[in-house]
Amino acid sequence: MDTPKKEERGKLGRRDFLQGVATVPVIGLFGYALAKERQYVKAQKEIKLGTTEVTEEGEELNVALLGAGAQGSVLLNAMLQIPGLRFRAVCDIWADYNLKRAVNLLSKYKFEVNGYEDYREMLDKEKELDAVVIATPDFWHSRHAVDCLNAGLNVYCEKEMSNTLEGAAEMVKGARQTGKLLQIGHQRRSHPRYIHCYEKIIKEAGLLGRIVTVNGQWNRSVQEDLGWPARYAIDTDTLKKYGYDSMQQFSNWRWYKGLGGGPIVDLGSHQIDIYNWFLQARPRAVIASGGTDYFSPEAHEWYDTVMAIYEYETPEGVARAYYQTQTTNGSLGYFENFMGDQGTLVISESEAGGTAGSIYRQPNAPDWDEWVRKGYVTAPKIQMMKKELDISNRLDVRESVSPDEHQIPIEFYDPYHKPHLQNFFNAIRGREALNCPAEIGYETAVSVLKVNEAIAAQRRLTFDPAEFEI
Amino acid sequence: MNDKFTFVQKVVLVLLRVVIGWHFLYEGVAKLLKANWSAAGYLAQSRGFLAPLFQWMADSPGVLAVVNQLNIWGLIAIGLALILGCFTRLSAVFGMLLILLYYLANPPFVGYYYSIPMEGNYLIINKNIVELVALLFIAVSNSGWYAGLDRIIKNLWGKK
Ligand SMILES: NC(=O)c1ccc[n+]([C@@H]2O[C@H](COP(=O)([O-])OP(=O)(O)OC[C@H]3O[C@@H](n4cnc5c(N)ncnc54)[C@H](O)[C@@H]3O)[C@@H](O)[C@H]2O)c1
Repeated sequence: MDTPKKEERGKLGRRDFLQGVATVPVIGLFGYALAKERQYVKAQKEIKLGTTEVTEEGEELNVALLGAGAQGSVLLNAMLQIPGLRFRAVCDIWADYNLKRAVNLLSKYKFEVNGYEDYREMLDKEKELDAVVIATPDFWHSRHAVDCLNAGLNVYCEKEMSNTLEGAAEMVKGARQTGKLLQIGHQRRSHPRYIHCYEKIIKEAGLLGRIVTVNGQWNRSVQEDLGWPARYAIDTDTLKKYGYDSMQQFSNWRWYKGLGGGPIVDLGSHQIDIYNWFLQARPRAVIASGGTDYFSPEAHEWYDTVMAIYEYETPEGVARAYYQTQTTNGSLGYFENFMGDQGTLVISESEAGGTAGSIYRQPNAPDWDEWVRKGYVTAPKIQMMKKELDISNRLDVRESVSPDEHQIPIEFYDPYHKPHLQNFFNAIRGREALNCPAEIGYETAVSVLKVNEAIAAQRRLTFDPAEFEI
Repeated sequence: MNDKFTFVQKVVLVLLRVVIGWHFLYEGVAKLLKANWSAAGYLAQSRGFLAPLFQWMADSPGVLAVVNQLNIWGLIAIGLALILGCFTRLSAVFGMLLILLYYLANPPFVGYYYSIPMEGNYLIINKNIVELVALLFIAVSNSGWYAGLDRIIKNLWGKK
């Protein structure tokens, strides 16, 4: 039946024609499948893009920067990307150096700003300010924030809220009494990936199940003490006036008692804040070990190495949370790891490294197909067969094969602090609520400062629930 | 041409051709739709005796651009041709050539180490080779004659 010889050359029989085009419909099928696939990809992309939407401009806000050091510059650069801000003033006691640099930067962007050494002079003279962004060392936060609130300004204040709980409590009260906004700089609270993980993955989808253990770390490689250009050194009288004994102390305030809190406060507070947030709880006890084990104790009064374990009473039951920070080996950087009976979430603010956002399903958990389809998590990367094969002959019944890895599909290209600043300015305009108001900053301060106490006390310390309240 | 195959065998032969075509077509389309797709990563990973050649392709932007376009449109054209059964033998041969290149760029020979993980375990023979041999079968069996445009082409313009 299939022999062409029956037909004349140049002629085509009906059967031959039908056979000839028999597979053409496959192209249609392919097109249909492709269109479906495109739709899915597009939907997934929209979920991602929805998080970086540009907020439209509102009424212009007059802004001052108080403290123009390392972090002040980071915040300033992020703010320069936010529309609707008018910079009026910068204050910094390092007049010849940091103050000058910030003023110069702003004038490049065509802002006419006044520079001040003393913040009280700034508050006296600048009467049109709506908001101030404070990035001075921790021991100045309370005075700066409270005085600015009292001068009628809305305040964005860097973490740690204060190096003392008394100072932090004054700030909470100051915000309440003046009715002004006080945002504390735990910027992960506004980070789209963290918000996605809490709101969607933990709360809505419940993918972790009950979180029973947490661990996290911020490891840093050995770093020299910070230096300063000798010809710009601040004179001793000025240093004394602002609470510093020397340029060494002025530059490395973090390590000194009475000025900063050491790495556990500097770095740990960011992440322990996330523990409290994701667990929806406050710790009930902490044990900790730490010391100045590596650096010279004279220049490093606070501990260079800290390991702490918190106990939480969460709505679902007890959870234990480990945290470590050390300054002698930067291996694996920084991340937080939440482990529930259904899944594991590893998340980090850092875009570098592989820990930005991964989630692993436990074999006993219901499948996550729905959440993959909704774009809450990506399709899993199946763990390499090879790995399993390699261990299969050694795997005994007590071991479980590592679960499949899904990613958190939130890409984030902005400066880390931009969304948190945006949230602050939008709150001033009445469009949003603050993501980290004074009360939350205070809870975190209570949780974190206790670690240093526990190290000194060399025993388990408990929290009285009343401690968290003002 | 006489019939060597039973009806079922013909259906399977056509099926084989169509699924391989689908695979080629989608490999091409997916690369086309992926903004900035480039073979550079794959080529740079190359191991084996042809590695210098592939790495040279990856390193020279002009060559790479041509290689990328040839690869994308080659895949799409071969895919369409296989699905439709049009110039089947020719496209099967080109398909085999392409696959051979992929294979030679990263051959699973003993002792090579790859940083791109492979989703399986192979010793000399991998899925590329399986697909290549399947194409060879399509070429020698002239699958396009059964349910393919080749039948129309042959009838209208072919030699007796
Ligand atoms: N959120 C974050 O990720 C993050 C990161 C780094 C630092 N920080 C916080 O930002 C704050 C500043 O840290 P940094 O690293 O920029 O320190 P820094 O030492 O680099 O800068 C502090 C600046 O404040 C100025 N200053 C000190 N006392 C002052 C005073 N009384 N009045 C006016 N200016 C004064 C100094 O001259 C200096 O320019 C700290 O509270 C720190 O914890 C937050």
